[in-house]
Amino acid sequence: MSIINGVMNRLKLIVLSCFLLPFFTWADTVLSCENDLECIEVGQWDLGVALGYGLRSNPLKDFNDIPIYAVPTFAYYGEYWYFDNGNFGYTLTEKEKFTINLATRFSSDSAYFHRWDPSNIFLAGGSTFETSSVTSAGLFTREDQEPSIDALEKRRFTYLGGLEAFIYTHVGIINFSLAHDMLNVHQGTEAQLKWIYNLPVQDWNFEFALRLDWKSEEIVDYYYGIRESESPYWSQHFKAKSALNTGMELTSTYVMTQDWDLLLLARYTHIADAIVDSPLLNKEYTSAFYIGSSYRF
Amino acid sequence: MQISHIITSGFLLLSFAVASSEQLVAEEAEEFTATLSLAPEFCITSDEQLTCELTVKLEWKNRIPKPICILSDYDDMVRWCSQSAEVNSFSLDISTTEDIHFVMIDKATHETLAGVKLKVTPTAGPKVRRRYRNPWSLF
Repeated sequence: MSIINGVMNRLKLIVLSCFLLPFFTWADTVLSCENDLECIEVGQWDLGVALGYGLRSNPLKDFNDIPIYAVPTFAYYGEYWYFDNGNFGYTLTEKEKFTINLATRFSSDSAYFHRWDPSNIFLAGGSTFETSSVTSAGLFTREDQEPSIDALEKRRFTYLGGLEAFIYTHVGIINFSLAHDMLNVHQGTEAQLKWIYNLPVQDWNFEFALRLDWKSEEIVDYYYGIRESESPYWSQHFKAKSALNTGMELTSTYVMTQDWDLLLLARYTHIADAIVDSPLLNKEYTSAFYIGSSYRF
Repeated sequence: MQISHIITSGFLLLSFAVASSEQLVAEEAEEFTATLSLAPEFCITSDEQLTCELTVKLEWKNRIPKPICILSDYDDMVRWCSQSAEVNSFSLDISTTEDIHFVMIDKATHETLAGVKLKVTPTAGPKVRRRYRNPWSLF
């Protein structure tokens, strides 16, 4: 446990270093649109589907992992407005070295509670996303001696909306976003700092990303806090605090033909202690992998 | 004294302007020997249609009508000559991917009289912009 924490602390330092480094190595000219992952044709739908196999782990105790067989991608960018995989945005400023958008995003936490959450609905996996203990036995215990938790109340999906900025540098893209609950579900706020680096190698493209995800106390309390009706004991003993998750991503594609790509994906998120402390969790991470082929129409 | 000076200056200025315009007309008339025009002057190609296939019309005017020849760098019509001084236009079917230059020369003396160019221009490429999310960001 302490080894993992030590590794994650080092990872946070690496992430911060990656965010700060580009400011000291600012490039005079920044290349953009090096491949079709970074650019899109204005006024044209970009549609695609990936077929293969993958799995997204669920950090919630007794909740099933989420299988992934087919994943669609769909986006439409106008002059200023855009729609990208379910999210909407409006570009306020687009310059060579930075972009500022108004943008929406999904609440990623709700995906763990609902199989058909919008964050999961596109992942056409099995339909076995029920909890084994909560729905059947009404029990949800961390350890034998700890009080049980009754059936969970709903943790609803919501859209977050706010500002996001992209800074394009010689050593990657820095993305910062700040978004607030738009549907009055939990009235929380999320902030994300992300460093993205694209490495094209002949027919391969590797996209690395490191993430810091900050979630306000309201979000942690809404999704991972325990209601009085669920467990009077835990509702008193688990006090939600704001949390900082750390994550890394790898998206690699290999061009097989003009329309078909090989797709390899890996995601890993280390969940903050403030969330792991919740009795709903029994893992301090969530991960996902996928291997398949994708077709772009 | 001052008023008469102004009137004199104005008269001189007007005289100069009239004299200048007369001289310009005379020079233009002297310089004009021949014109050669082309319609259309431009052809725009697309990704689907890279070759320009069209009929162009060449028209010319000479100060003194005379038989002419038209030379071009278009392989299918390197040289064409009019049979009489009364002919003043010529139509040509063209299939090309590059610009074509036409030059009109005096049939008798081979003096170059005028020139014109058919410009082949590709359409601008599709407009693209940055995409803010990886296409597979649903994971």
